[in-house]
Amino acid sequence: MHSAVALTPRVADIPAIQEPLLNVSDLSLRRGKAVVLDGVSLALRPGETLGLIGESGAGKSTLALALIGLLRAPEVQLDGSMRFRDTELTQLREADYRRLRGNKIGLIFQDATAALNPCFTVGAQIAEPLKRHLRLSRWARRERAAELMHSVGIPEPRMRLDAYPHELSGGMQQRVMIAVALACNPELLLADEPTSALDVTIQAQIMELILDRVRALNSSAIFVLHDLALGAQVCDRIAVMYAGQIVEEGPSEHVLAAPLHPYTQGLKSCVVELGSRRLVPIPGQIPPLNAMPGGCRFAPRCPKAKTICSEQRPQAETRDGRQVACWFID
Amino acid sequence: MPNPIFSLLDVERSYELRGSGWFRAPSRQLKALDGVRLEVQRGDTLALVGESGSGKSTLIRLMLGLEPASDGRVLYGQRDLAQLDAEAKKRFAREVAFIYQNARGSMNPRMRIEDILAEPIRLHQLCVEREIPARLESLLLRVGLPAGLLQRFPSELSGGQIRRIAIARALASEPEVIMADESVAGLDVSVQAQVLNLLRDLCRESGITLVFITHDLGVASYLCEKIAVLYLGRIVEQGPTDAILNTPRHPYTRALLQAFPRFDMPLKASLSGEIPSPVNLPKGCRFAGRCPQVQAACRETDPALTALDAGRQVACLFPVAIA
Repeated sequence: MHSAVALTPRVADIPAIQEPLLNVSDLSLRRGKAVVLDGVSLALRPGETLGLIGESGAGKSTLALALIGLLRAPEVQLDGSMRFRDTELTQLREADYRRLRGNKIGLIFQDATAALNPCFTVGAQIAEPLKRHLRLSRWARRERAAELMHSVGIPEPRMRLDAYPHELSGGMQQRVMIAVALACNPELLLADEPTSALDVTIQAQIMELILDRVRALNSSAIFVLHDLALGAQVCDRIAVMYAGQIVEEGPSEHVLAAPLHPYTQGLKSCVVELGSRRLVPIPGQIPPLNAMPGGCRFAPRCPKAKTICSEQRPQAETRDGRQVACWFID
Repeated sequence: MPNPIFSLLDVERSYELRGSGWFRAPSRQLKALDGVRLEVQRGDTLALVGESGSGKSTLIRLMLGLEPASDGRVLYGQRDLAQLDAEAKKRFAREVAFIYQNARGSMNPRMRIEDILAEPIRLHQLCVEREIPARLESLLLRVGLPAGLLQRFPSELSGGQIRRIAIARALASEPEVIMADESVAGLDVSVQAQVLNLLRDLCRESGITLVFITHDLGVASYLCEKIAVLYLGRIVEQGPTDAILNTPRHPYTRALLQAFPRFDMPLKASLSGEIPSPVNLPKGCRFAGRCPQVQAACRETDPALTALDAGRQVACLFPVAIA
């Protein structure tokens, strides 16, 4: 049976266990003179989930877009390296990128209504990567699409195959997009704010679903999130970004439970919890790209800043099981 | 009990859905609100909480008099909102201010901030023309913005600044009640914290009555002393914030609390399914289809909102026991 063969991963595809799946080192992204990403390094092992958190303008989405090759030369200038398995992504041609996207790297966007094509049925959109990457027959594609819809919790999948996106609720559209992203059993899933447009009860369902599928496929996932508490719940590791740099990175139970960088601490004191004590906002905002301060970029807003902070950029150092870039770690 | 500033007496709001096609399908009724009873006392801070589709925005539109109730009455003080004469309507517009969900969209992009803020003052003739500049400055001061912004256009301000201007405009008419629809949704946590602190301080210091719509129980509990939880056009539980957070009695409230992301708890999808369509509502309790502790009686009897303990009302046949 054609479909059965394609559904089981081939032996050659199963990764060696501890080799990082994705290794980003000293990645910089320039748009004209503006440095949008500055010296970003991170590694993701198979089966790991990583959360990118920070305010808007921190560079979280830019990093995600760079990873999937949607931001590349000549619009921007990329330096450094992004290795996905044995492939150097910064050097990849567009045609080769297309073989990765939707296949080895799945994508989930924030706004399902905008990401799905209103002119095609959801069945056709789930089947598209199956046709393109796995070359399944028309019949097998339809079977597999129904199977995928079932696996993402869409009731009566066979009836919904021929539905158009507008006939489904926001939560159901999000499920369809997850089905598209997971269609080819990707090794890496990138999810940019996958639930911020949804209600909390649906958010919990969708997040549980994504985690469940990611674990079932033993894939890795990168979540772009603005909700720190959600990050603590779904991510193994957290990378806190500020003004295009990673300021703190490590296991989420360390980074979020006892943050060391003043920016992470500041973010955490802004989070509204149930029955919160008074919130302490971080003063000011992320500086514009054309007016980045020298030294530590967070210094102008930092309560602990001293002279050295505005003069020299702190290098990331290992502390309590994580990487922190700050001159004055408690 | 003192006179409430707003009372909703069994308010219903339904919309006719006209059938379409050549052989027109029979028209159906969409009940956005059904039998809502609610009192807002002077000085209250009340949050209306619910998922999208629960009817919270419709409720606030009725309370603002933007839409008539299909049935039941909305009283402002002692008077029916539907029967206000022109003069009383104008007074109502001064006393009850609204902050729109889309702050930027609620401002004329071709007007300067100065004119946007002065408009309600001029309209309600709150002071003579030459006092206006001083008033505007003190308004900006109250919302923590520099006076230099007065000459700017809305498009020149950041997301946080524009929400503050929206709050300043609401304050400009010296209202007694402020209603706000999701005024902090979509903001960065740091900016959201600033706006929340501002709203909280304004209400606590000046005794303004606040009715705040949100889907976020954390925001609701931070700003408001009372919470009303809506589900499919009904209030299912209301009471003091502490009581709602600590001992939710309606299974839906409890599920909302469990789904709220927390640092110290694992992720839990507390509810399956989605809020059903408000067309052709099922018999019995509206929440029965998703309720984790549903019993046979729930599908037969539609529970009424009944008083339970201190100031709390719940619409459930089998309220959650207090642990």
